[in-house]
Amino acid sequence: MTRIRPGWVVAAVIFAVAASSACSRRSGGGRPSNDLLIVGYDREPDTLNRFSTHILEDIQTCVVEGLTTTDEQMRVVPLLATTVPTIQNGGVRVRADGGMDVVWTLRPGVTWHDGTPFTSADVQFTVDAINGPNYNPESTDGFDRITSVDTPDPLTAVVHYKEIYAPYDIQFIRGALPKHILQGRDIDRAQDYNRNPLGTGPYHVLEWKAGEYILLERVAHYWRGDEYPKIRRLLFKFVANTNTRINQLKSGEVHVVALAPWDKYREMTAIPSIVVTKTRGNAYEHVTLNERQFPPFADVRVRRALISALDRELFTRTILDGLAPVADGPIQPVSWAFNDRITRYPFDPAKARALLDEAGWKAGADGIRVRDGKPLAFTLITQAGYAIRESMAQAIERQLRDIGVDVKVELHDGTAISAIWFEGRFDAMLHWWQMPSDPELTTFFASDRTPPAGRNINYFRDEELTRLLYASDRTVDRTERKALLERAQAIIADAVPEIPLYSVTRLDAVPTTLVNFKGNPTNTGIFWNVHEWEIK
Amino acid sequence: MVRFLARRCLQAVPLLIIVSALVFLLIHAAPGGPLAIYLSNPNVRPEDIERLRRALGLDRPLWQQYWSWLWAFARGDWGYSFSDGRPVTARILERVPATLELVGAALAWAIALTMPAGVLAAMGRGRWFDRLTTAVSMVGISLPGFWFGLLLQMIFAVGLGWLPSSGRATPGGGDVVDHLQHLVLPTAVLALVLASGWSRYLRGSMLETLSLPFIVSAHARGLPARRVVLHHALRNALGPLIAIVTVDAALLVSGAVVTESVFAWPGLGSLFTEALARRDYTVLMALLMLSASAVVAFNVVADFAHAVIDPRVAVS
Repeated sequence: MTRIRPGWVVAAVIFAVAASSACSRRSGGGRPSNDLLIVGYDREPDTLNRFSTHILEDIQTCVVEGLTTTDEQMRVVPLLATTVPTIQNGGVRVRADGGMDVVWTLRPGVTWHDGTPFTSADVQFTVDAINGPNYNPESTDGFDRITSVDTPDPLTAVVHYKEIYAPYDIQFIRGALPKHILQGRDIDRAQDYNRNPLGTGPYHVLEWKAGEYILLERVAHYWRGDEYPKIRRLLFKFVANTNTRINQLKSGEVHVVALAPWDKYREMTAIPSIVVTKTRGNAYEHVTLNERQFPPFADVRVRRALISALDRELFTRTILDGLAPVADGPIQPVSWAFNDRITRYPFDPAKARALLDEAGWKAGADGIRVRDGKPLAFTLITQAGYAIRESMAQAIERQLRDIGVDVKVELHDGTAISAIWFEGRFDAMLHWWQMPSDPELTTFFASDRTPPAGRNINYFRDEELTRLLYASDRTVDRTERKALLERAQAIIADAVPEIPLYSVTRLDAVPTTLVNFKGNPTNTGIFWNVHEWEIK
Repeated sequence: MVRFLARRCLQAVPLLIIVSALVFLLIHAAPGGPLAIYLSNPNVRPEDIERLRRALGLDRPLWQQYWSWLWAFARGDWGYSFSDGRPVTARILERVPATLELVGAALAWAIALTMPAGVLAAMGRGRWFDRLTTAVSMVGISLPGFWFGLLLQMIFAVGLGWLPSSGRATPGGGDVVDHLQHLVLPTAVLALVLASGWSRYLRGSMLETLSLPFIVSAHARGLPARRVVLHHALRNALGPLIAIVTVDAALLVSGAVVTESVFAWPGLGSLFTEALARRDYTVLMALLMLSASAVVAFNVVADFAHAVIDPRVAVS
């Protein structure tokens, strides 16, 4: 029996440890303090290079700062720039040849964490690297329209665009690449930088333990002053399983859970040391109606019937626990371009039935409507594993059945569903778009922006809307642009190319003792003002 | 014996090549590729998707992708992760210690539970201990691992606060005790589930052996019961158990996927879950090949072990 003796030894040791720890309650990660704040994070980043990552940049924003950032109201505010350039302040000049120049004035006295001054040469290098052949960033959006960058002095970068680019103010929201570190190198393989980026922000990476955590530590002399940041260390623990993450919050092993799931809201509010903050988001859940795949959606009467048959107020009160308001369009109230004066569709099943009758869809023997021998039946796909989405899909199925529409719900994993919609192989899809802070709608609704050229997966065509959207992209003046986008929203509301359901509210669980937490509706994330966070 | 080993290795080569081709086809057939994750970002332009596709070599015909992968893999070049651009070997090697630690402890504990449970249950068939172990192992077999894991977390981490709910060590400073405390819950889940199944096999196998004539004659010759059971019966009954233990062990060594994910254990299993979600083809291929190789290798080990325990079996 000698063979099993090591097993007994190990078992005995483990039992002994369990028994010894049984004597006392563990301190977990300790209380949140100005020495250490622990964040339970749902995934490990792929890279900390902000231009390469395709995952939310929460950790990166603590280290690498942009020329601008977005605040809790989704306003674009200066960070490493002294002001946001506009036409009014002379920072933006529209050229006679149809192009534009943007003058960025950099904040004086800012240095990279290694002490090297942060200058306009870094901005220029960033544009050259992203547009160059030897680097594969996630997105080249906007950069592809930059012809060159001039650097008349170390604190001035003049960016020349070959055409008007309306979201120029967030062009450098991801910051800049340090020229003195990355010049002449293969950035895709520069693991020293990609795993531990040199930034100008309040923190630097102290340790990245694969599969476990990233530990950030405050830098010695942050440019805002030595009193910032207030919290010495930030620990991002990777806990992929949602239930485990909430358990860690309860046991005090983590102090912050960003983007907490709604179905855990009540569970989290029951934790005394935690407050769950709600931020009006910039994403909207909706049902995409693919006109190419399911031609009956091309009839506006059918689309209006579908939206009128859904009691969206009831959905938000019940399924969403009152956490999110009904949405009426793709631009959310948090955006400066939001238009409140548009057509709305209150719950009205009688009107829905009348519209379908008018469109020639008559109830068949089984109650399902039929026209030309074909039933009004389609498949609604959505992502598996999201309790809220699955409930919502079932509610939609049930309410549409009441007006004689047959819906079959199909669940797919997240990666699979991206491929399905990109190829347009679905009838209808329940999902959301996390909209950029700039209210550009062109990629979602312009006639010529169906995949692969864009994300118009409704395959919706409206020439006036398309014209308005492109005109808005080429308008820098905010008042003029707002007028164009308001008109576009009105057209979208009338035509119902998709069924907007609700405006996504962002939930973040933070310690009750944390002050200066402001939240953020965009992909910039909640850490945009982490320098002023403090435990009191 | 050397000839036996050499032959088994040679046999394994074509098998592994076939497995690699099948696995390659399967993961490429799964909808959504490594670029799918970029699509939901509206700022990623179609041109970006095409550029990234070329950069990852995904624009080439499938057979070409497979061939270049196989040729490089055979020479020890496992490529770069599609997700973070680091060498696949580095990503795998940094996860191996965590998995070996978890799986080693779980196997040891599971064997330690299986042996007495299986043997004593068979000896006292139908008596209270047999009924107890039957009930416990039925629970162990039926419980979904992730649910059982969460339950243990609720009790021991959230409720009682005795143990950490997940992770491998307290970040920044974990001594040996802290390390072992982190090991308790995930090991308990794995070990209970494994031992539940194994002890059933051992019990059945023991019952069969105990009824054989040579056991009866051993008793008749007046050998002590303890010696009959442990030296004569158990040795004969272990054969089937070894086969099952080695296959389970082989699959676990390449990652206890569910348990690692529930307990945020930084091993090969959570790497697999992550690579699958991101369709990180190079990492997935390497992990699946490791898994296949482990099954082949552990089978050879099982043959040896069987031969050592049972003199009637020879490794020729």
